[in-house]
Amino acid sequence: MDFDWSVVVDALPALLGGAKLTVLIAAAGLVGGTLVGTVAGFARAFGNRLLNALALVYVELIRGTPIVVQVMFIYFALPMLAHIRITPLSAAIATIVINAGAYIAEIVRGALLSVNKGLKEAGLALGLPTWKVLVFVIGPIALRRMIPPLGNQFIISLKDTSLFIVIGVGELTREGQEIMASNFRAVEIWTAVAILYLIMTSALTLALRFTEKRMRIL
Amino acid sequence: MSIVEFRNVTKTFGPVTVLRDVDLSIQRGEVVVLIGPSGSGKSTLLRCINALETIDGGDLVVDGISVREKRTRIRHLRQEAGMVFQQFNLFPQLTALENVAFGPRHVRGTHRAEALVQAEVLLAKVGLGERGHHYPAELSGGQQQRVAIARALAVKPKLMLFDEPTSALDPELRQEVLRVMQSLAEEGMTMIVVTHEIGFARKVGTRLIFMEGGKITVDGDPAALLDNPENPRLREFLHHVH
Repeated sequence: MDFDWSVVVDALPALLGGAKLTVLIAAAGLVGGTLVGTVAGFARAFGNRLLNALALVYVELIRGTPIVVQVMFIYFALPMLAHIRITPLSAAIATIVINAGAYIAEIVRGALLSVNKGLKEAGLALGLPTWKVLVFVIGPIALRRMIPPLGNQFIISLKDTSLFIVIGVGELTREGQEIMASNFRAVEIWTAVAILYLIMTSALTLALRFTEKRMRIL
Repeated sequence: MSIVEFRNVTKTFGPVTVLRDVDLSIQRGEVVVLIGPSGSGKSTLLRCINALETIDGGDLVVDGISVREKRTRIRHLRQEAGMVFQQFNLFPQLTALENVAFGPRHVRGTHRAEALVQAEVLLAKVGLGERGHHYPAELSGGQQQRVAIARALAVKPKLMLFDEPTSALDPELRQEVLRVMQSLAEEGMTMIVVTHEIGFARKVGTRLIFMEGGKITVDGDPAALLDNPENPRLREFLHHVH
């Protein structure tokens, strides 16, 4: 068969619109997910028994269920349980926040615990309160160690947004699906969709590599 | 008044008793050298002084503050008792200069520029005036340990605790650290040193303590004890160390 470029050109505005939404969901979701993950990670690493248990239940609940089930629950089940209205877009963002947050919590915990205990003692021995040791000694070292696995998670979450096709949010994959359903040009459309994802993940990879180079990993 | 006072101190790790009813009084200006076989409790005794370990029985008072007091007081106590670790424990993300300035900035609230100026003076004092902008990974073990000493001194402590400061160093690097410690002792700093450096004990120490099984079994003048160890266990220990 012939690869018809005009199909791609015609579809491009709609696909770019979808890509924009994909970026929006991923960016908003990951900002929230990083916040949630940082709090849960600290609770897992240094929290008292109650905080630790709460964070553990959250992490296990999310890691133990598929993201498609999570978004279905948030979009269809939660409104029935709590009597609230929720748009597909906010359900999508909330799912990334909750889902990425659980994985990021484990990344944060691992990085915090990987910092040599002697450094904490050195900080305490100078007469610093524990929170200052966390902020000025352990935090900066752990942050550097988090960057590679965090980058991994960001890329995974970006691609996971494609699963939100199930709730009809008009992100890139959904846009591709809709165009394909009207013109049946599967090869052109899915090639274009794949390349758009590749461009987004490559940009993320480059940004991470740049950050890693600027910060010496210790 | 003594600067460090152990009264009947007991410390356990689970089922293991590491310190048994230790009584010890250390005066200002003393250079106390703590020796003993591994597991005898000497490092634990040292770490109890700045509350890195909590005691289980008795009381321990450092510069008028008990290690059993509340957290804010403990932080005050720690500022008066500088600590030097076997593994140096320098902050790897900071340069030598920033490591030394760290304590004054975050503990004493000194302004950054002023703390850095003071840090330069301290680094020069430990013979590393030229190395201020290097990161710990770029320094030799002996240099790292001297930075660690400067870092502890920067908070202006009244006494210094050394936990096997030369044990992680090659023999030729030990001397540079021991020389810095000796000059510190000559300035009148109160020091408590856990070490296997018998030469240092003889030359610099004003008091030698031998620990065994969580107890202080010998306590006296270093030269006299090293020349004529009456305690048979001390004699045997010295035989192995030499």
